[in-house]
Amino acid sequence: MTMTKTLLACLLAAGAVTAHAESATYAIDPSHTFVTFEANHMGTSTLRGRFDKKEGSVTIDKAGKSGKADITIDATSIDTGVAALDTHLKSKDFFNAAEFGSAKFSADKFAFSGDKVSEVTGTLTLLGKTQPVTLKASNFNCYNHPMLKREVCGGDFETTITRTQYGMSYGLAYGLPDNIRLLIQIEAVKQ
Amino acid sequence: MFGAHRALLALLAGAAVGTAQAAPQEFSIDPANTHVHWEVKHFGTSTSRGRFDAISGSVTLDREAHSGSASFSIATAPISTGFAVFDGVLRGPYLLATQEYPSAYFVSQRFTFNGDALAAVSGEFTLRGVSQPLRLRALRFSCRQATEPAREICGGDFETEFNRSAFGITHSLPFVADKVHVLIQIEAVRQ
Repeated sequence: MTMTKTLLACLLAAGAVTAHAESATYAIDPSHTFVTFEANHMGTSTLRGRFDKKEGSVTIDKAGKSGKADITIDATSIDTGVAALDTHLKSKDFFNAAEFGSAKFSADKFAFSGDKVSEVTGTLTLLGKTQPVTLKASNFNCYNHPMLKREVCGGDFETTITRTQYGMSYGLAYGLPDNIRLLIQIEAVKQ
Repeated sequence: MFGAHRALLALLAGAAVGTAQAAPQEFSIDPANTHVHWEVKHFGTSTSRGRFDAISGSVTLDREAHSGSASFSIATAPISTGFAVFDGVLRGPYLLATQEYPSAYFVSQRFTFNGDALAAVSGEFTLRGVSQPLRLRALRFSCRQATEPAREICGGDFETEFNRSAFGITHSLPFVADKVHVLIQIEAVRQ
């Protein structure tokens, strides 16, 4: 009887631990979450730009090795450091930000290597077109933030998209590339 | 006789043109395609990025003699991370101290070639009033004939890294890493 009780208590405790570890939601920290793109310019140098406004949340189940992510990127917040280029990139030639104000990344397939996220697969919706995308983690880590007193998870992810798949073909004839590398910094705070 | 003179003159003129081409050529930086991006690790987790937006300078390049010199001035206040609060902190007295040190400088008189390809540019970098030797590795370097304006443009991507503590910038160590990775896009127009 005592044995059964102890076993039950153990199982209950295990159950509680499992339930606790099941899944946690993290809100992205906008100060440490950015999408930077790289495009080769006329075969010479690499042009970089960044999207400054974004919001979203990530759910990670470390025990079940699964997760979900929904991140919205404001297409009007593009910043290359050159105002005239920003204006051109926001125009119909590229992001058509007046008509398509945001791009959206949704993922529901998280691959793990040990206890670290190694790949996130989902879809990217850009210019109203949705295409599959896999982000590869080059670094993933969780830490206890000393000031926030919360767990923060994040890392560096990257992928390369083909812009013509989204209907963005301006400048291909002048030597602007079709393949655009995306470098994604993300940190998200446990809720 | 007269014909021979003429031929000799033409030869000499041709040689002079040839020499002129081999002589050092002056290039002026195209600010729209010249940026300094930096990367620094945040809490060992994700990569924070920033950009200096106002770079001026000139390059002298002798492709025949495989030599060159460069002089760049980087304004420290026009810094952009995509997060205004960070930009303010970076400009402040604990980090870049932009009021006291409004410019950083890179000066080089040593261009290293690998065959005909520019491989590295070595010189002295001055940041926050401290000068240290710095070597920029050329990832790609090429020249193209542009139509608008009808000038030759040379440029490419360079990278380097340094420890910010070597320049007296120790704020937020070790949460924000000491090592700063620098990515330089540069295009310059022949004068």
